Amino acid sequence: MVEEKEITVNVKKYDKEKGEYWKSYKVQADRYTQMTEVLRKIKTEQDPTLSYRASCHMAVCGSCSMKINGEPRLACKTMAFTAINEKNEVNLESMDYYQEVRDLIPDMDTFYDRMYKVEPRLYADQTVISGENDERMTPSEQKEVWKFEECIWCGLCVSACPSVKEDEKFLGPAAHAKGYRFMADGRDTKKEERIGILMDSAWRCTSCYMCYEVCPQDVQPVIAIKKTKAYVDEFPGTTELITMARKHDSTIAESIGESGKIKESKLYLKTFGYVAAMKDMMYMMKEGKIKYAMAKDTDVKNMDEIKKIMGDKK
Amino acid sequence: MEKKEYDAVVLGGGLAGLMAANNVADAGFKVAVVSKVFPTRSHSAAAEGGIAAYVDGNSDPNDDPEFMSYDEVKGGDYLVDQNAAELLSRDSGEIVHILDTWGAPFNRQPDGRIALRYFGGQTYPRTRFVADKTGMALLHTLFQHATGFDNIDFYNEYYVLDIVKDGNNVNGLVAMEMKTMDPIFLKSRALLIASGGLGMIYQHTTNSYINTGDGYGIALRSGVPLKDPEFVQFHPTGLYPSDILISEAARAEGGILKNNKGERFMAKYAPHKFDLAPRDIVSRSMTIEMREGRGFEGGYLGLDLTHLGREYILERLTLAYDAAKTFANVDATKEMIPVRPAQHYFMGGIDVDITGVNSDLNGLFAAGEAACVSVHGANRLGSNSLLETLVYGKETGKTMVDFLKKHKNVESSDGVDTIVDNAYSYIKRETGEHFGTLLNELRDVMWENVGIFRDEKKLTEAVKQINSIRKRSINMYVTDKTTNYNTEVFNALETRNMIDCSIVMATAALNRTETRGAHFRDDYPTRDDDNWMKHSIAYLNGDAVEIKYKPVIVTKWKPEPRVY
Amino acid sequence: MKVAYYPGCASHGIAKDVDIATQLIAKDLDLQLMEVDDWNCCGGGFMDDKNEEIHTSLNLRNLTKVKEMGYDKMATPCSVCLNSHKIAVDKYDNDPDLKENVDKKLEKAHIEYDGGVDSEHFIWVLIKDVGIENIQKHVKKPLKDIKIGTYYGCQLLRPSNVMGFESAHDPHSVMDLVAATGATPVSFPLKASCCGFPLMGSNPPVGLKMANNILSDARNNGADMMVHPCSLCHLQLDVTQLKIKDQFKQDWTMPIVYITQLIGLAFGHSPEELGIGKLTAKYLRERGFA
Ligand SMILES: Cc1cc2nc3c(=O)[nH]c(=O)nc-3n(C[C@H](O)[C@H](O)[C@H](O)COP(=O)(O)OP(=O)(O)OC[C@H]3O[C@@H](n4cnc5c(N)ncnc54)[C@H](O)[C@@H]3O)c2cc1C
Ligand code: SF4
Ligand code: SF4
Ligand code: FES
Repeated sequence: MVEEKEITVNVKKYDKEKGEYWKSYKVQADRYTQMTEVLRKIKTEQDPTLSYRASCHMAVCGSCSMKINGEPRLACKTMAFTAINEKNEVNLESMDYYQEVRDLIPDMDTFYDRMYKVEPRLYADQTVISGENDERMTPSEQKEVWKFEECIWCGLCVSACPSVKEDEKFLGPAAHAKGYRFMADGRDTKKEERIGILMDSAWRCTSCYMCYEVCPQDVQPVIAIKKTKAYVDEFPGTTELITMARKHDSTIAESIGESGKIKESKLYLKTFGYVAAMKDMMYMMKEGKIKYAMAKDTDVKNMDEIKKIMGDKK
Repeated sequence: MEKKEYDAVVLGGGLAGLMAANNVADAGFKVAVVSKVFPTRSHSAAAEGGIAAYVDGNSDPNDDPEFMSYDEVKGGDYLVDQNAAELLSRDSGEIVHILDTWGAPFNRQPDGRIALRYFGGQTYPRTRFVADKTGMALLHTLFQHATGFDNIDFYNEYYVLDIVKDGNNVNGLVAMEMKTMDPIFLKSRALLIASGGLGMIYQHTTNSYINTGDGYGIALRSGVPLKDPEFVQFHPTGLYPSDILISEAARAEGGILKNNKGERFMAKYAPHKFDLAPRDIVSRSMTIEMREGRGFEGGYLGLDLTHLGREYILERLTLAYDAAKTFANVDATKEMIPVRPAQHYFMGGIDVDITGVNSDLNGLFAAGEAACVSVHGANRLGSNSLLETLVYGKETGKTMVDFLKKHKNVESSDGVDTIVDNAYSYIKRETGEHFGTLLNELRDVMWENVGIFRDEKKLTEAVKQINSIRKRSINMYVTDKTTNYNTEVFNALETRNMIDCSIVMATAALNRTETRGAHFRDDYPTRDDDNWMKHSIAYLNGDAVEIKYKPVIVTKWKPEPRVY
Repeated sequence: MKVAYYPGCASHGIAKDVDIATQLIAKDLDLQLMEVDDWNCCGGGFMDDKNEEIHTSLNLRNLTKVKEMGYDKMATPCSVCLNSHKIAVDKYDNDPDLKENVDKKLEKAHIEYDGGVDSEHFIWVLIKDVGIENIQKHVKKPLKDIKIGTYYGCQLLRPSNVMGFESAHDPHSVMDLVAATGATPVSFPLKASCCGFPLMGSNPPVGLKMANNILSDARNNGADMMVHPCSLCHLQLDVTQLKIKDQFKQDWTMPIVYITQLIGLAFGHSPEELGIGKLTAKYLRERGFA
């Protein structure tokens, strides 16, 4: 027989009348017990008021997102025995960022609104609709599309993203993955429009890999954002952010192309302009670091290799 | 109470509901889609293996829609309505094409055409797939497409209580917004029930927690019958002990079932098809192996993939590999996956004809797992359910459009308040029995007595026990009195639906004194075509289950023994 | 012990003190840092946005140089450089389409990459190869009675399946090193949140806000000072700090040092030897640690 153990589950409960409060439960579990089963046991055997979302219990529906010991996770994809600490305890809370509705149930409307903003549907090419071109998608294109389409709308990445919290203009990781998924789909006819929706927002991501880390589907939204940014030169329009990003990145590319390295003083000047750069220099002076800013590192010697790698201008 | 008017209301945001909604909206009608979960959390997302289709120019050169229909008829042990099976095969290619234009990311062949593979019960390979997450990919495709219509309103996280009737006509439904617990009357002349299956009735099931047979309960309470409710499919490979499905793809791609002696026991039971014989046969063979002491301790058998090689497993069977790894801590590239049969699919459902129309209530339509058309007969073949949700979702959508052209909404709002009062009765009561107690008892009875092997004794006992649970359920009460997202209320309402389904299922199973497909009677172990080539049509009138019959529609194929 | 050493552009530029301190304590610990021959910028956080193939190729070039020098490990004091090299290898190994194009580029440049070199953060080398006990042995001036906020940032930890050293959610490396100096490590909720540096090239207001969040969080959790493991966090949290102070109208600054600077202090070096900035040096003197 499989060995059982008593575990303590601490749940941060919430309702409109009582507000937030913690409640503990003791549950028997074995090494096969999923956290969703733990919750179901509590609900049917101990506390019918315990509220949470769960549907598929196999990590494809994205219902059971919550914080488990502070970490954003799917409850069904978390086994009780790996979640408990030395004292056989585990803490459950509603996800960060979203407004609380009840216990482990947050209001996800802001997540859905972000997804709708990227027009998440195919506007198919005429040759696809007529059926004359049923060889439209290559296996490697399918792989790319599917990678980012694998998102289950669980909302974990958005709850954990630092840029979403600070910047209301940022669409957030999941919406970017979704948007890019259609950009990468050769059957679609709206690529330019999509780039327009996504480009400014893409430069609001801080590349912290939090979304990549917490995503239960390995969607890697940050990679979708990076791939979107790569279209910046093809995008005809601009915004304040994009203008700055263009300057900044082309200066770096130039610097690497010329010397194989990044020369910061030059970067500052070109990205922020003379006045802003001088202001920053003042701050550096106060810190006593201006000498470093002026220091010159040696260039790469074998620049031929670098030039070959950098290739011809795209 | 809030009231909103629509041309059509769709109960269910799964594949069937969304497909129909897309079609009705496309014709310009105003549609409400009501779902107790956000649509992409519907059970359709859980479908792994794929969708069967005969695609002209992209199928095995020897294949033909006729063969596909024949496979369905034979797989369903001749309880299939053959015109329904023919329609399913005929339209399958078109469905795949529509999905392609809506953006479904099907796996591709090197030349760019949609890839295909074998599934249990198929003469030729027909299953189209998106990795091991076909249902999820298609559900997202349909949902995303539907969000592009201005004339579809989504009522997400609204729980449907009951149908509002105006005489013998549909007049909409009453739902409750889960976040606020406010009821709403969604008024319409046409109502599609696409509420999915009922796995939670069974102790062991591969189904989602939300599969609680609400649509069947709602239909039964409105005087609408279930067709063939005794037919329940048990999938051979539920992961031990969580019952998470290990897709048939695992066997389609070469996985082998083994007993504790390391024998490939299916060779004995299905000498031609081996491990890829239809589900009912494999599930029963497994149960026999375990009964006769050739299972592993704890009650499971082994699904061996190890001979397929690590790379192949990781590439072609990611979901099965991940499931075993994540949910049982088993590395399928190195050891066998522990599996046992579990409830998987309900072949029965709301009685509708080949156009999705129910003849008991004007304006009522049903599609998907909630409906019984019947294309699966006594046993469903893998990959055919996704196909059914889409082909019949579309077909029913078309019928609804025709219906809407002829019928207009009426004034009445009768019966709305009673529906809400009934639902509130559980909240108002201060004492009584709790839903959890009743539900756990019900799931036990159904698993033990209305499961893989049945006989008169077990079924009589089941009927008795379910009747008693049903009586006690009148006094069900809810401890949670709060008014935001009170899940206990909904669980109680779901329990009411599950109990109503169960009594109908057990009674029909007791009534059918033969073995056919998934309905296996130890006391009547053979198929009896003379007396039982007919559909059970079961009504729930108060406490009584009343069973009538309808003939099976035969077009081409006369019954023959089902050998694999 | 010898180890290949990749300083990265920042620590040869505005974050030069990171390099200075790292070199200094490495010497104390008998660790010979062999600078990677003719290394190039990894392009981390920029080039991977612009062109994945160029990015991957640039990183593989560095790793090839390491191999040619006869090492199978490359240590860097910069989390971004670390992340960049690791992600590049991960992509190259797992994305056949990308690999094909990268191979073409490398072939053109006559670079023969055939794997076999691991990138590691300098602090991993300290923990795994040098050992905490060994570090403790070199401590001459234990940093008693000072609470140090232990900051990890993002690139050192995430994605954890690629970085591989420790849990991204519950890391311990910086904490262990701080404890070795005799100081009291202070954990705080935003310890693994982003410092905002990557936004400085496109959306600086939000970038600075993130930096302010980190500093405030450390302070609110009782830290006297903060320590971090990354050349670019250094630019953001140390060098930019006065700007943050002005912008968010704070009446405080948070003294900050790079991890090897803190270890250097405990080893008995002066703030000047370690290249520590004026503000922090002043604070250290006031507290009697220098
Ligand atoms: C694990 C698993 C794997 C499967 N794999 C395959 C496969 O590979 N191929 C295949 O062909 N079939 C497969 N099936 C079967 C198939 O997934 C289902 O039969 C099919 O998806 C059912 O779709 P549906 O649209 O009828 O219902 P569902 O997808 O179940 O949708 C039901 C909808 O009704 C709503 N609903 C229900 N009750 C209420 C209520 N009271 N109020 C409001 N809304 C309500 C729900 O919210 C949901 O939106 C699989 C099944 C399982 C369990
Ligand atoms: S990488 Fe970008 S999108 Fe992802 S969590 Fe960080 S800031 Fe958000
Ligand atoms: S990208 Fe990943 S974490 Fe974010 S919503 Fe989708 S599945 Fe969830
Ligand atoms: S219950 Fe579906 S993802 Fe957890």
